[in-house]
Amino acid sequence: MLGQQILSGLATGSLYALTAIAVVIVFRNTRTINLAQGDFAMIGAYLGIVFLKDWGLNYYATIFLVVICCTLLGAGVERLIMRPIANSDWLTLFTTTIGIYYILHGLAGWIWGRDTKAFPVTFDPTPIDIGGALISQGHLYNMLWALAIGGALYCFFNFTKQGVAMRAVTDDRDAAFLMGIPVRFIVLLTWGMAGFIAGFVGILIAPIIYVSPEMMDEVLVKGYVAAVFGGLYSIRGAVIGALLIGVAENLAGGYLGSHFKTATAFAMIVALLAVRPQGLIGIQKRREV
Amino acid sequence: MAQETHTPGLMDLDAASRKKRDIINTYKRRFRRHDAIAAAIFFALLFLTPALPGVKGWMVSEASLVVIYVIAAMGISILVGYIGLVSVGHGGFLAIGAYTSALLTKYYAVDLVVGIIAGMLVSAFIGAILALVFLRLSGAFMAIGTLGFAFFVGTVVNNVPIFEGRDGILLPDNVALGMEIGDFGFYYVSIVSLALVTIFVFCIVNSGTGRAFMALRDSENAAMASGVNRLFYRTLAFSISAGITGIAGALNAHIVNYVSAEVYADIWFSVDILMAVVVGGPAILFGPYLGGLFVVMLPFFLEELADFAFILKGVVLILVLRFAQAGVAEVLLRPIQNLRRRKLLEVARGAK
Repeated sequence: MLGQQILSGLATGSLYALTAIAVVIVFRNTRTINLAQGDFAMIGAYLGIVFLKDWGLNYYATIFLVVICCTLLGAGVERLIMRPIANSDWLTLFTTTIGIYYILHGLAGWIWGRDTKAFPVTFDPTPIDIGGALISQGHLYNMLWALAIGGALYCFFNFTKQGVAMRAVTDDRDAAFLMGIPVRFIVLLTWGMAGFIAGFVGILIAPIIYVSPEMMDEVLVKGYVAAVFGGLYSIRGAVIGALLIGVAENLAGGYLGSHFKTATAFAMIVALLAVRPQGLIGIQKRREV
Repeated sequence: MAQETHTPGLMDLDAASRKKRDIINTYKRRFRRHDAIAAAIFFALLFLTPALPGVKGWMVSEASLVVIYVIAAMGISILVGYIGLVSVGHGGFLAIGAYTSALLTKYYAVDLVVGIIAGMLVSAFIGAILALVFLRLSGAFMAIGTLGFAFFVGTVVNNVPIFEGRDGILLPDNVALGMEIGDFGFYYVSIVSLALVTIFVFCIVNSGTGRAFMALRDSENAAMASGVNRLFYRTLAFSISAGITGIAGALNAHIVNYVSAEVYADIWFSVDILMAVVVGGPAILFGPYLGGLFVVMLPFFLEELADFAFILKGVVLILVLRFAQAGVAEVLLRPIQNLRRRKLLEVARGAK
């Protein structure tokens, strides 16, 4: 029972982790807390329905197309909306993403309607036995995908030129610019990457929760909380935080009752911030006068 | 501030600089005066709405909704505009005010006025407690923490039995000061609350406390070095802001005599009132008036096209942030200000 709870907690946690990674990479390169991150994924889920149902594509082609569309969406948002105000203070940047949130919500409601829809792909409900713990196939599948994406991101950040450039921009934007790194392009790439991750999250989470304009709100909040665990700077911290939240809320849901789930994440963030305001693995940023 | 006597000292200025400083101070004072006048005009318009010919009960209810949003926006403007913090969780305080007042009127049959005051006090108290956690954080962290708080309140009202979750609580008819009141009476209760809130905000912003807020906003380290207690003033601002939002929440419960988790467990309220402030103009007294009107009236006029209203809201928000970062209110005041500035500049040139 315990092992099973932990395992499915890790499965939901891995989707929070992907969202948290996207929040972190956007924040540390552009100082923007992206409230529209969940809506990128929501659009992705709706596009998934369109491709699967109306166009009759198969599952993998759908994933491929959705991820491309979401990447373009993320990059487009950067180019059209965020770039002109890139030098504003963080509150302006943040409230601008609220505007994007409204627009994407409205668009989804306008085009596809406000009712919840079922995602056409469902997983075989018979659970799989892993060392005594049962896990549903959907969860297992999501976990594997999340692992693969996480691995790909790790390789990207460590072994490719663009990934290293992105980390350089994170560390010191001005120095990176002086070293000849095309900062603007890297920022565009960052937003595109947020969209890329959101595309996967959307299509992976859609079979578990039903598709509606509000579907991602809760996931996004947990992604934020997880990002705070990493001090909004550390991807590793964000992933650890996300997995912790996933497990903790599953345990709380299993032993205390299902309505304690959301409260758990909040209790964790309050406890964490009361003890370590800079996050679990946060970097203490020098205060600017 | 220009009236203060000039004492010679370490920071003594020469005559030209003094002149310049006085002009800037006059300019600021004029701005505040125009701001207050504009707020008074908006208030008068709202006050007279029910007296217009052909106004029906439902229109008055809609106007009450505007008033409620303006109050909530006033509350958040203290944070965003004057002390430079941001909260994405004020929907939580709205819910606290609403449920406090709702439970009191339902089970203890208290007066509406008592309910509103109780909503305010409970909300302010919880705000003060939360402040001690959140205010160690700054900027981005605080935004996320408060968003988490709004979700937490949503979970509580959804699941704790006394709040009756999605079924909601049906309230008795409104009784204020011993009289049964209808839509019109309710409107006047809310508009009196708005008047009190506006005057309160005006007073606090123009007092030493308000200057301490703004000092913390403009340069935290300089303010702290000058002896401004950051934790105290932040807690105070957060608590005041939560209390005012609590008033709005209590009114919002009684406008339809119904509270349910369907309404309060969402983050829409939080986002909407934050947006009202940002669009209207956070550091301007009549900014929340404009913002509240915008946020309530836009979906009202586009009733058939609710989703289109969302899109339009987003577009307006983005445009305002791109082209008028101090809010629409500042743009409206600009022509008068320019006129004044030209006059002052002429005076200054004459003095040289």
